[in-house]
Amino acid sequence: MKTKTDFPSINEREPDGIKEDGTPYRVLIVDDSMFVKKQITQILNSEGFEIADTASDGEEGVEKYKELYPNIDLVTMDITMPKMDGITALEKILEFDKNAKVIMISALGKQDLVKKALLLGAKNYIVKPLDRKKVLERVLMVLKK
Amino acid sequence: MSDTIQELTEEQKLKKKIDFKIITFSLGGKEYAIDIMKIKEILKESKFTMVPNTAPFVRGVHNLRGEIIPIIDLRKMFHVPIMDPNKREEDVLILKLEDITLGVIVDQIDRVVGIAKEEIKPPHPLFSDINVKYISGVVESDSKLYIILDVDRIFGKEEVLASTYDREERIEYKAPEKEIKVKTDEEDIEFKFVAETLVTFKSFYVTDLNYEWTKRRFEEWKNLRTSAGEKVQLENASDAENFLRPFYSPYTGMLWGNDYKENLQKILPERYQGIINVWNLGCGKGYESYSIAAILRDRYKNNMIKVWANDKDLLNISTAPNLVVSKDQIPSFMLDNGFVEEVDSGRYRFKREIKDLITFEYHDVLNRNDYPKQDIIVARDILSFQKPDKQEWLIDQFKTMLNEGGIVILGLNETLPAKEWYKLQEGNVIAYKVEKY
Amino acid sequence: MRVEYINPFVEAAFNILKEVLGTELTRGELYLKSSSQPVLGVTAIIGLTGDVEGRVLFDMTEETALAIASAMNGEQMTKLDDLTKATITELANMITAQAVTKLSELGFKFDITPPAIFTGKKMEVSDVSVEALIVPIEMPLGKLEINVAVREKN
Repeated sequence: MKTKTDFPSINEREPDGIKEDGTPYRVLIVDDSMFVKKQITQILNSEGFEIADTASDGEEGVEKYKELYPNIDLVTMDITMPKMDGITALEKILEFDKNAKVIMISALGKQDLVKKALLLGAKNYIVKPLDRKKVLERVLMVLKK
Repeated sequence: MSDTIQELTEEQKLKKKIDFKIITFSLGGKEYAIDIMKIKEILKESKFTMVPNTAPFVRGVHNLRGEIIPIIDLRKMFHVPIMDPNKREEDVLILKLEDITLGVIVDQIDRVVGIAKEEIKPPHPLFSDINVKYISGVVESDSKLYIILDVDRIFGKEEVLASTYDREERIEYKAPEKEIKVKTDEEDIEFKFVAETLVTFKSFYVTDLNYEWTKRRFEEWKNLRTSAGEKVQLENASDAENFLRPFYSPYTGMLWGNDYKENLQKILPERYQGIINVWNLGCGKGYESYSIAAILRDRYKNNMIKVWANDKDLLNISTAPNLVVSKDQIPSFMLDNGFVEEVDSGRYRFKREIKDLITFEYHDVLNRNDYPKQDIIVARDILSFQKPDKQEWLIDQFKTMLNEGGIVILGLNETLPAKEWYKLQEGNVIAYKVEKY
Repeated sequence: MRVEYINPFVEAAFNILKEVLGTELTRGELYLKSSSQPVLGVTAIIGLTGDVEGRVLFDMTEETALAIASAMNGEQMTKLDDLTKATITELANMITAQAVTKLSELGFKFDITPPAIFTGKKMEVSDVSVEALIVPIEMPLGKLEINVAVREKN
């Protein structure tokens, strides 16, 4: 006979954004769009991630990463931004911290850009429009490695 | 208002129901008016600050108590003569429209006139030198006829000031119609009517370009129809189509044959330096573009060739990059050169080496054309289907766009004036070069 | 405008709008427009660079912009504030970027610039000597006009 304890309770599932030690993963969002920042924040917050900070262009993104380091687990990076684009910012962050975990999030799905980013060291690449499931899946893939 | 403006006296006002007031002025010898609600004030001014790089009708700007406003010379804008060019001080109406304030220079400001709105009649083209769409209506007052300008239309949608382009492209004024050359007797009236129906049914405009052919065809047509006991006049689209059938150039709607290629190559020069630029207007499904590209490649093995093919029919031109033809439609020189490859049984397309020479563009040649200088312009049976003023404009464009020694290939039955163009003919191929003397 | 450039824009517009708004769409007939074009109230602009030069405009009324932003944010937007504007520019960005992606698959190398947005009635984007392709899109949320002007760098 099956008892209640045989079935995992949904309420007992740990939110994806919480590490094993109980603290949340800290994320830096780099994107020039207020709307995208809001979208990613909502998706990640709903699973317990903490948004450590946001930046509106590549230059600001690199600065903030350096400030937050080493208390930063993940960066989401847009490609098309003013002042400094995401690919350049990716390079600079990796120069600073070769173990940085950066996920590119862009509306551009060009093969050569994807290849370039991954070759440079980005851990993953998500093409917009964003859907919650896809974002969480990829983020966790990168964090759990 | 200045004291040169007179208003209706109280008793005159009582005589009719006044619910609309206009300020009247003269322009090129005719009387115009503008709704008084659009007019902020009136100036007499002699100095305006010139602004470089603006359209010819922009006289400059003026500082109106701290506000810098543009000043437009309405006479230049509408191409009407300036009645008193030596006038020291100009009459300027300051218009305040929804989102712009500007001044317009007119010949002479007259007075404020009160009218009843219901007396305003719709405009008729005959009343004015300017395009009907800029007129809101006409009204008679005190035995004078005033043409009321729709200033919102003139200065609203089309932002006159930010632009630097030619007036031809901006204000559609009524250019003098290229007259259909006829004498004033009955036969020629018949011809004139036929010419008019060709416009109606086929947008075919009879001008110097095709007059010879059309007149000859008319004679032929007339004989045919009268001996068959039928009406000479074109009653419907089908008649018009029949009339025009012999007009079209050889190989219309298909790849150009060996004979055409032979003839054309006799006209072309021994060699070209560098890139051969070709502009193909009205390419339709692409037959002409592929033909000219193939003919050039066949003759000039080493030159870079660039064909700019345009059409404003999106459906037709979007199929052009992928044109497929059956083997029997392909002239032997294209097969022999290996310019085509089989797609499936009996159907062929052009190979990359030819396809890559052509850029197909959805483009209306009546808009600005931004191309490098051309060696060959292919415009077969295109000009005749443009309005007369556009025909002229395009022919002028050709002149400026052709390289030294460049040629224009028109339709078989289209001709360019001998004084300005030198004709080259080889069988069924006719081309024109700019006449330098 | 080069014939091969047309479909990518039309398809990208359809795909993105369907996915992001989930509504029915119909496309009006495409046509060419020359000279400067007045604006409906809200216009997002994305520049095109690379082998070409040009831009894409996304033109709509304020009402439509609010309706679209509301649908994309999952909440009622009542003003043209920073968030609404950011939402519209992101829509423009996604459509243009997807078109550019398709173009790159066809062998055409385009790049895009960060977007800009203009609001205000009767304001004009004045491009002298640029012919534009107009793609009118009708949705229950309102009408959107996509205006593409691009030419090869000589």
